[in-house]
Amino acid sequence: MNKEKDEGLDDLFKKKLEDPVDQAGFREEDWGSLEKMLDQHKKPRGIVYWLPILSGVAALLLLFFGWWFFNGANNEHSPSGKPVAVINHKIGNPGKNGGPARQPATQGSNKIPAPVNYAGNLNPGNSSTDNKTLTASADGARRTTGQVKPEIKDTIITRSNETLLSKSYRPVFDYEQMAIQPLQIIDLSKRNTNGALVTSTDKKSIKKINTKRPFVPQYALTILAAPDINGVGSFQQSKVGTNIGLQFSADVLKKLTVTTGAIYSVKPYITAFENYHTPYQFQWNPTNVTADCRMLDIPINVGYQVFNKHQNKLSIGTGLSSYIMLHESYKFNYASPYITGPSSYTVPNSNKYFFGVLNLNATYQRQLNQKVGLTIQPYVKLPLTNIGYSQVRLQTTGVAIGLSWNLNSSSTP
Amino acid sequence: MSEEELHKLIGGCIKQDRKCQKMLYKVFYGFSMGICLRYAGNRDGAAEVMNQGFFKVFTHIESYDVSRPFKAWLGKIMRNVSIDFYRANLKMAYTEDLDKAEHVTDGELVDRNLNYNDLLAMVQRLPQAYRTVFNLFAIDGYSHDEIGEMLNINAGTSKSNLHKARQKLKQMISEADISGQSTKYYNSVDYNTSYVAVNAVNMNGVFINKGIRE
Repeated sequence: MNKEKDEGLDDLFKKKLEDPVDQAGFREEDWGSLEKMLDQHKKPRGIVYWLPILSGVAALLLLFFGWWFFNGANNEHSPSGKPVAVINHKIGNPGKNGGPARQPATQGSNKIPAPVNYAGNLNPGNSSTDNKTLTASADGARRTTGQVKPEIKDTIITRSNETLLSKSYRPVFDYEQMAIQPLQIIDLSKRNTNGALVTSTDKKSIKKINTKRPFVPQYALTILAAPDINGVGSFQQSKVGTNIGLQFSADVLKKLTVTTGAIYSVKPYITAFENYHTPYQFQWNPTNVTADCRMLDIPINVGYQVFNKHQNKLSIGTGLSSYIMLHESYKFNYASPYITGPSSYTVPNSNKYFFGVLNLNATYQRQLNQKVGLTIQPYVKLPLTNIGYSQVRLQTTGVAIGLSWNLNSSSTP
Repeated sequence: MSEEELHKLIGGCIKQDRKCQKMLYKVFYGFSMGICLRYAGNRDGAAEVMNQGFFKVFTHIESYDVSRPFKAWLGKIMRNVSIDFYRANLKMAYTEDLDKAEHVTDGELVDRNLNYNDLLAMVQRLPQAYRTVFNLFAIDGYSHDEIGEMLNINAGTSKSNLHKARQKLKQMISEADISGQSTKYYNSVDYNTSYVAVNAVNMNGVFINKGIRE
């Protein structure tokens, strides 16, 4: 008996509720919500699709510039293919000390024994000081030491803060009326970032307002570290260096970012002796020179944003680096252990070189949250002027990885 | 809508054509909402669940087997989404005490002119756990074993919840009866008026919250 009654009850509900014919009228705002969900679903796919392509283009650009430059640099170094013991280079970028001119090749170097220091061999040039030791002056400067400095950009996080018309869970009492009438529902949206009440009819105007948001300058600090490889003339003989530094970046225009900072760089490298320039006349030339340079790199770079969607940004940048030499030491390697000659030389003073290195880079930045972003930046540093005691053309390529801190994210809409 | 038209629409949806998606949404809005309303507590909740369902439909439309009825596929998705959406609340709802519903006398369940909205409102007033089981068993025709598996409860709990749901519904029907007799009509407006009175406290709560948020 009870069972029958239960079934009767079930049937009553089943008959009326199983497949109601359009009892619930269509609401445009429901479709609006779904459309937003679908749009948000589409965007990440777009990024995944475009990112490899854009990264590829950036990498190709870097490779091309690298190849073009290094190729030219190699030719310049030894056009005849023969090693040249001493070359009269132009003095390109003398250090602050002024310094001695290069010793002429015609001097009777063979007769002079290797001194404990280089004082005996030094032929002062324009420098008025009678140097007792060979100064590290970049004086007779010839070659540029490449230097590494990644650049981080801070870009605006463009949020699509379209107001979501989410549902408020208020009690709904009159289902029949709801089903029949199109309701003017005011949504107390959970995700309404403006905190404003929005009716469905306002949607279009909201979109318009959002797209016209004024540009707000953004500032960011970035701490970064980079392993890189250093080579003279080419990367055929290269050594791995390290860099660590702090950068500050500012968005000066919507897509343009200026970056500066300070990076401590350790640049070991090895080069054939013909690339090494010194006034000192070796009795027997070493076969190659191993160098250990430490410097402070101060870059000024400009970055242009080529891609910005969701939390992902991609930009390409260029600029110039200045640096302050902190330490230079050179070790001479000879072909035979029986050859006697100086084994090493440490440059005693430091020099400054302004805008001597060209930076080229591509930066990918992923915003982890409102404040913090992760940066990956492949870069190339190409020498423009002659830098360092040895006057080698040191070029560098590497990948900097950094964390950036958005300084004014609180003001980001 | 003919089969051919439907397949064209589905073809457009596979290409992620927004117009086709909207058309399909409109065509099956009433059907989908009908399911979600039964499982949800109110229309807005139902709309949110239904949109989750349509989102799944549009993002997995290529997995739809065209040889099978679309409505069945869509209905299954809507049911699953409804269950998923409320699964988290189900356990909590089980602990709710069953009240005097046990003592309700089984009146004759003749046709009492209760319309769709009356019955829907009653189902929506059921506690979550009872509502879900009642929907699955009485309206969608699943067995207790199947329900147990779907909701991750045992069949005994499913039976017990169904029993309690029926008791509550009977109580509501008899209340609707009394209310209807006293006012001489049986439509939903009357019923809902009494519902508002019962839930006046809730309304105040909502109002206060609004005040704080703004």
